[in-house]
Amino acid sequence: MTGIDNDMIIAPSPAQQMRRRALRHWGFLIGGSLLGLIVLLALIAPLIAPHDPYVQDLSQRFLRPVFMGGTWEYPLGTDHLGRDYLSRLLYGARISLTIGLVTAIISGLIGTTLGVAAGYFGGRVDTIVMFIITVRLSMPVVLVALAVVALFGGSLTVVVLVLGFLLWDQFAVVMRTSTQQIRSQDYLISAQALGCSTTRIVMTEIMPNVLNNLIVIITLEMAHAIILEAALSFLGLGVQPPLPSWGLMIAEGKDMLFFEPFLITIPGIALFALIFSINMLGDGVRDVTAPENRN
Amino acid sequence: MRTSFLAALVVAAALPLPVAAAGSDDNSLTVAFAREMDTLNPYLNTTREGVILSRHVWDGLVHRDQETGDYVGNLATGWSWVDDTTLEFTLREGVTFHNGEPFNADDVVYTMNFVADPANGVNPQRNVSWIREAVKIDDNTVRIITDGPFPAALEFLSGPVVILPDTYFAEVGPEGMATAPIGTGPYKLTENVPGESLTLERFADYHANGPKGTASIDKISWRTIPDANTQMAEMLSGGMDWIWQVPSDQAERLASTGRYTVANESTMRIGYIFFDAGDRYGDTPFDDVRVRHAVSHAINRQAIVDNLLKGGSQVVHSACFPSQFGCDTDVTRYEYDPEKAMALLAEAGYPNGFEIPFVAYRNRDYAEAMMSDLAAVGITPKLDYKKYAATRDQIQAGEVPLAFMTWGSYSINDISAITSVFFKGGKDDYARDPEVIAALDEGDTVTDPEVRKAAYSRALNKIADESYWLPLFSYNTNYVHDTNLNFTPTPDEIPTFYGASWK
Amino acid sequence: MPRFLLKRLGLAALVAFTVSLISFSLLFLAGDPAVALAGEAATEEDIQAIRAQYGFDRPIAIQYMAWLSGAVVGDFGESYYFKTPVMELIASRLPTTMQLGLAGICFALLLAVPLGVAAAIRPNSLIDRFALFVSVVGQAMPTFWFSLILIVIFAVNLGFVPVSGTDTWRHFILPTIVLGYFATPGIMRLTRAGMLEVLRADYIRTARAKGLHPVKVLFKHALRNAAIPVVGLAAVQLGFMLGGSIVVESIFALNGAGLLAFESINRNDFPVVQALILIFSIIYVLLTLLADLLNAWLDPRIRVA
Repeated sequence: MTGIDNDMIIAPSPAQQMRRRALRHWGFLIGGSLLGLIVLLALIAPLIAPHDPYVQDLSQRFLRPVFMGGTWEYPLGTDHLGRDYLSRLLYGARISLTIGLVTAIISGLIGTTLGVAAGYFGGRVDTIVMFIITVRLSMPVVLVALAVVALFGGSLTVVVLVLGFLLWDQFAVVMRTSTQQIRSQDYLISAQALGCSTTRIVMTEIMPNVLNNLIVIITLEMAHAIILEAALSFLGLGVQPPLPSWGLMIAEGKDMLFFEPFLITIPGIALFALIFSINMLGDGVRDVTAPENRN
Repeated sequence: MRTSFLAALVVAAALPLPVAAAGSDDNSLTVAFAREMDTLNPYLNTTREGVILSRHVWDGLVHRDQETGDYVGNLATGWSWVDDTTLEFTLREGVTFHNGEPFNADDVVYTMNFVADPANGVNPQRNVSWIREAVKIDDNTVRIITDGPFPAALEFLSGPVVILPDTYFAEVGPEGMATAPIGTGPYKLTENVPGESLTLERFADYHANGPKGTASIDKISWRTIPDANTQMAEMLSGGMDWIWQVPSDQAERLASTGRYTVANESTMRIGYIFFDAGDRYGDTPFDDVRVRHAVSHAINRQAIVDNLLKGGSQVVHSACFPSQFGCDTDVTRYEYDPEKAMALLAEAGYPNGFEIPFVAYRNRDYAEAMMSDLAAVGITPKLDYKKYAATRDQIQAGEVPLAFMTWGSYSINDISAITSVFFKGGKDDYARDPEVIAALDEGDTVTDPEVRKAAYSRALNKIADESYWLPLFSYNTNYVHDTNLNFTPTPDEIPTFYGASWK
Repeated sequence: MPRFLLKRLGLAALVAFTVSLISFSLLFLAGDPAVALAGEAATEEDIQAIRAQYGFDRPIAIQYMAWLSGAVVGDFGESYYFKTPVMELIASRLPTTMQLGLAGICFALLLAVPLGVAAAIRPNSLIDRFALFVSVVGQAMPTFWFSLILIVIFAVNLGFVPVSGTDTWRHFILPTIVLGYFATPGIMRLTRAGMLEVLRADYIRTARAKGLHPVKVLFKHALRNAAIPVVGLAAVQLGFMLGGSIVVESIFALNGAGLLAFESINRNDFPVVQALILIFSIIYVLLTLLADLLNAWLDPRIRVA
């Protein structure tokens, strides 16, 4: 990465410049507002959901959405057990977001710890961490996740734990490189010379400087986790009903794929929109905080 | 970009144009099954697909007429019980195997003695464990000696116990039989692509006077397609003539297109809920019979049958399939009555209900419907939905307080294939009621049909009174095929294509 | 070079060993496979007999050692379900997955590299935005959902291609698109980034200044250098695809290793699952090694070093 500091020198202040870049970046704006909307809907789901997402009415099955000839009683129709599809979709946003967030936190903690340790200490620690990363990368994620969920039973907890323990590789790789770069900087060497403890150096000197990279990876891994959970649920090995995860909704709706396609297109579009917005936001954050790294 | 994407989704909503059936032109039939068989050897495979294949490639000594339920001769033309443990068969003449080997007493004796030896690892053993040995009397007469009185012998001889060619089998062994199977059946296997397809061709020299008649379809392409939607897509695009086990909703929609015939046939499989009544899991609310009764009243079985299972399914009340020998259906019934359920719960000391793990392995939607019913009376089941093997493992280890399970009795039309499996104090028995065990023991060992019936009735009544199980409903199977195909489903859930033909 | 190779192969072996240890412990933590083996109709005696026959009553360490000593010579034991050697089973299914994976990566390269190059030549143009769109959609589209929609549109409604199976090359069209599209975003972005960087580099400016034909500059000089990381990524993506073709194979009924893996998981057929995890790991490690070697060959700077 050559010529890193050009922007900094010309800019009036980094924060100001960043704000200006953010407001000009359409991907950042679109991704941010779409994700914000989904998060908001998930948060106020109990207030706006027209029905209880878990209450079934077997006499009201497969009602169509209002734009396909249904009624406003069930704006997005009902599923195979006569449950309101809109309410399930709203509550489903909570599940999918929870899965993405918790997985990203778990994998973030594992990956960042390994990556920073490898980058900071180097030498033998680095060799061991690199080996662990190679082992992890070589393991087929979907296959291992499926096997573990099949063996231990599907539940929100199992799925989140499995994904969390599988998706830390990007964190480790990126944090390792970032830490290595920072480690050779002058201010760090002086901090060491002043006798600061390792924990303190990592927390006060390294973490703030790798934060933007961390945010980018968090968004990517959130999206990754959400899409993987959907795939696991689709294969029948994800979260347990009656939880309305979007992946599970697609899995349950796929039986009627040829007859009531709204059952998979609605959660499918929701899932698409969520992943799309998270990815756009992630790209945006990277561009805005470190425009020289855009690729 | 967004608009074209949405447009594609709208296209997806339209039903496809009619297409011609895959095989009516060349008198062939393309059928799909979900599971790949473990082996083609009829004595080692454990899948229903294997049972179905064995009906096409092999024959048994006798055959059960699906309409009347009577046993008729197939490879045997007559039989009689010489004494309590000796069955004598007169064999059919002029029958040949697919490789030209003639069928005679040696084949029967060889097969029986081979499978009866536990060292040869027949799976499941109960199919053959009742056979002690077979003895050749002359070329066309054979005696089978059973291991103690075994009233259900003919049932097994009409089903899983098929006859293998002795010369060929001695030559190739079980492995050879699995890769290149030879039998006397109406179809011979001509190609096997593991995991993808089997090709069956009509056996021209089949004994046409037998109970399976003369097959009409020349060639059967048997494809393995694991995903039900993919099967349906093949059907809709004209790549498939026959599929089965189609869920009722899809079957209804397919039928309404007018291009497919949907046949519904009830099966011997029943669903049930069992409770940890005998304290194997530990202290649960189900130790109190009133709580078990409450659950029995809380679940609207009729609504689940009417809305989800549909077809030939019925609510069942005793712990067996109604057509099975000994299945007394006149037992205590628990009608849907949520108020009564709540009253019973309050009486038992659970006015606010309780939370309990709930294990299930199939029909997630039925499980969800039951959970919703239970939630309505205050019980909160925590679903633990797993694969069958994992579930059964957990059950046998005594780690399940409440489960939704099913049992198909492997199509044996006798109560010993279900009630005795679950209530004789074994690892699957969570009640362990000595009275029930004693009654079932009596029913399983005596030969007098009336005494058996009385004993089984005692057991079933006790099970129902105590609500050890909540029997739920019988299953049904939807067969969907091209309207130009003649096909008759049977209640034993073993579709056979030797009776099928193109119009 | 031989020393480098030897070291990498040693690493590969160590990785494989670690992966096998992890997956073995995971699978056996889950308990007793005897029930699964025996099938629904089995009695308690059947299960006991099987337990003894396969030695499930032994301690896990002993079971692992027994398995490992077989595995190093390619003997992964017998499938619980098929009762045939696991190696035979996998050998018969792996080619389908390989074909699918190779077709998928070719599709991805054919789509992503030209798009990435075009986007890099004209940054922020319409074609750049289109490339970005293709990549964002690719990242956000769940594979299983994409497969279903393609089947509904192209196989059922339009009848252009068969729904499922492996009989002809036409059967591979939809699965190839689905799997390939999955790998497109990464390759596209890397190509674009690489090209952007290379095009700014001094030697390209020099080449241009010398009056070389722009097309020649682009392909002979720029793309060759930009391709270096792409080759590496493509190899890695191929590894991911092979391990990740489970969904695609089960939807399109492609009888490959992915479908075998999924079905084996459902059947608790541990030896097959165990062997497949290991084999996919080894393939991945070998592919990354191959990528390194290719890079060395493409990039004279690495070769010298």
